[in-house]
Amino acid sequence: MTRLLGLLGMDVAAMSVNDWIGVFFSLIAFIGMVAVYVMVFRPANKETFESQRSMALDDEGHINVGEKR
Amino acid sequence: MEATQATPIKYDMEVVRWFTIAAAIYAVVGTLIGVWIASELAWPFMNLDIPYLTFGRLRPLHTNAVIFAFGGCVLMATGFYMVQRTGATKLWSNGLAWFTFWGWNLIIVLAVITLPLGITQGKEYAELAWPIDIMIAVVWLSFGLNHIMTVAIRKTSHIYVSNWFTMGMIVMITYLHVVNSLAIPVSLTTSYSIYSGVQDAMIQWWWGHNAVGFFLTGGFLGIMYYFVPKQSGRPVFSYRLSVLHFWALTFGYVWLGAHHLQYTALPDWTGSLGAAVSLAMIIPSWGGAMNGMMTLSGAWDKLRTDYILRFLVVSLAFYAMSTFEGPVMSIKTVNALSHYTDWTIGHVHSGALGWVAMVSFGAIYHMVKKLWNTEMYSDNLVNVHFWLATIGTVVYIVAMWVSGIMQGLMWRDYDEYGTLTHTFVESVSEMHPYYVMRAIGGIIFNLGTWIALYNIVMTVRQASAVRGVNAVPAKA
Repeated sequence: MTRLLGLLGMDVAAMSVNDWIGVFFSLIAFIGMVAVYVMVFRPANKETFESQRSMALDDEGHINVGEKR
Repeated sequence: MEATQATPIKYDMEVVRWFTIAAAIYAVVGTLIGVWIASELAWPFMNLDIPYLTFGRLRPLHTNAVIFAFGGCVLMATGFYMVQRTGATKLWSNGLAWFTFWGWNLIIVLAVITLPLGITQGKEYAELAWPIDIMIAVVWLSFGLNHIMTVAIRKTSHIYVSNWFTMGMIVMITYLHVVNSLAIPVSLTTSYSIYSGVQDAMIQWWWGHNAVGFFLTGGFLGIMYYFVPKQSGRPVFSYRLSVLHFWALTFGYVWLGAHHLQYTALPDWTGSLGAAVSLAMIIPSWGGAMNGMMTLSGAWDKLRTDYILRFLVVSLAFYAMSTFEGPVMSIKTVNALSHYTDWTIGHVHSGALGWVAMVSFGAIYHMVKKLWNTEMYSDNLVNVHFWLATIGTVVYIVAMWVSGIMQGLMWRDYDEYGTLTHTFVESVSEMHPYYVMRAIGGIIFNLGTWIALYNIVMTVRQASAVRGVNAVPAKA
C-alpha cells in the first residue's frame, strides 16, 4: 500500500493528520462524483429523471388565489 | 408532478412581492454607487475630499449592495417563490419569512451606515463588523430553515432541481460565512480574525470564491432552471444533465479558492490544485449553460418578441463566457499576467452584470407579471432595459480587458539591463481612457436599472388600479 502511494508521489511518512483528512475528503468527493455519474447515466434511471423535465411548467395547474392583502 | 389539486393553493407571496421590489431598488442603488466609484477612479476629484466618499469606503458598500442587497433579495424572492410553486405548498412559516425580510434589510441599512464610516474587518466580501456578521448568520439561517422545512412539507414527491441548488447554496454559505467570520472581538466595531498570515488568506479566498460559486452561481442556477423553462414554455432540455450540473458544482467549487493566491506564500501545489479543478469545472458549467440554452429548442422564435426571455438567454451566454474565462485566468502562466490587474475586474463584471444581473431581471420581470397578475406596464421599456444592460456590460468588460492586459504587459516589461520599462504611475496614467470607458459602461447599465424600477413600479400601480376597480385578488 505504502509503495502504491509512493508511486502517486505521496510521501506517506511525512503526512500529517491534516494531510490525511485532506486525502479522505478528496476521495469522498471523487467517489461521490463517480456515484453521481453512474446514477445519472444509468439507462434504467433515464425515465425516472427525465419525467421531471416539465415540473416547472406543471405548477400552473394549481395556481393560487394570492395572499390576502 | 403529482400535485394537481382541484382546490387552488393559497401561497404566501406577499413577502415575495416585497423582496422583489426591494431587489429592483437595490439594483439601482448598488450600481449607482458602482458608477460613482468608477468615476472616482477616472476623475479622482469626485471623492470631494470627504472621507465617507472615498473609494476605499464606498467600494465595499458597492460590492455589499450589489451582491448581498440586490443578489440576496433576488435569491430570497425566487427561493420562496420557487419552493412554494414546485412543492405545491405554502411556506413553512410566513412569519419567519417576514423576519428574514426585515432582518436582511436591517443588515443592509447597517452596512450603509458602517461602511462609509470606515468600520470594516478588511476581509473582501465579508467587511461587515462582527455584530452584523452574527445578524447575517441568524437571518440567513431563518431563510434556510424556512426553505428547507417548506421542501420537507411539499405535496410533490420530487424535489425540483432549482430547490436543490438553493438548498446547496444555503448549506454552503452558512458554513463558509461562519468559518470565515470567526474572530475575537475587542470592541463593538473591531475584531481580529482568528486566522493569521497565509492561513487567513486561504480562508479568505475559500470564502471569497465560494461566495461566487454558491451565492452568485449555484443560487442563480436554481433561478435559471426554473425561469428559463417557465418563460420559454419548454421543459428543461435534459433533467439528468441538471442533476449532474448540481452535484458537479457542489463537489467541485469548494476546491477553487486557492487559485486566487498564485505566486504567494501559499504552497505552490495548493494553487495548482485550485487551477486544475477550475479547469475541470468548465465541463459542468458549459454543460449547464448548454442545457439552459437547448431548453429553447423549438422556441427560439420567441426571442423576437419575448424581451424577458432575452435577458435569460443572454445571461446564459455570459455564464458560459465567464466560466471559461475564470479557469483560464487561474492557470499560472495566464495568472502571472492577469493577477492584480483590471482584467480580474472585467471578469468579475462579466459574471456579475452579464450573468447574475441579467438572469435576475429575467426572473424579476417574470415574477412581477405573475405576482401582480398583470402584464408589464411597457414591454418596450423591458426591451430598452435589455439593450442598455447588454451594451453597458459589453462596454464595461471590454474596457477592463484592454486596461488589464495593458497593465499586466506594462508591469512585466523590462529593458536589456533588466530595469522595468515603465513606472507604476505611468501604467496608472495609461489607464485613464479605459477608466472613463468603464464609467460610461456603468452609467449605461445603471440607466437600465432605473428604467426597470420605473417599469416595475408602474406595473404594480397599474395592477393595483385594475384590482381596485374589479376587486380581483392577485394570483401568484
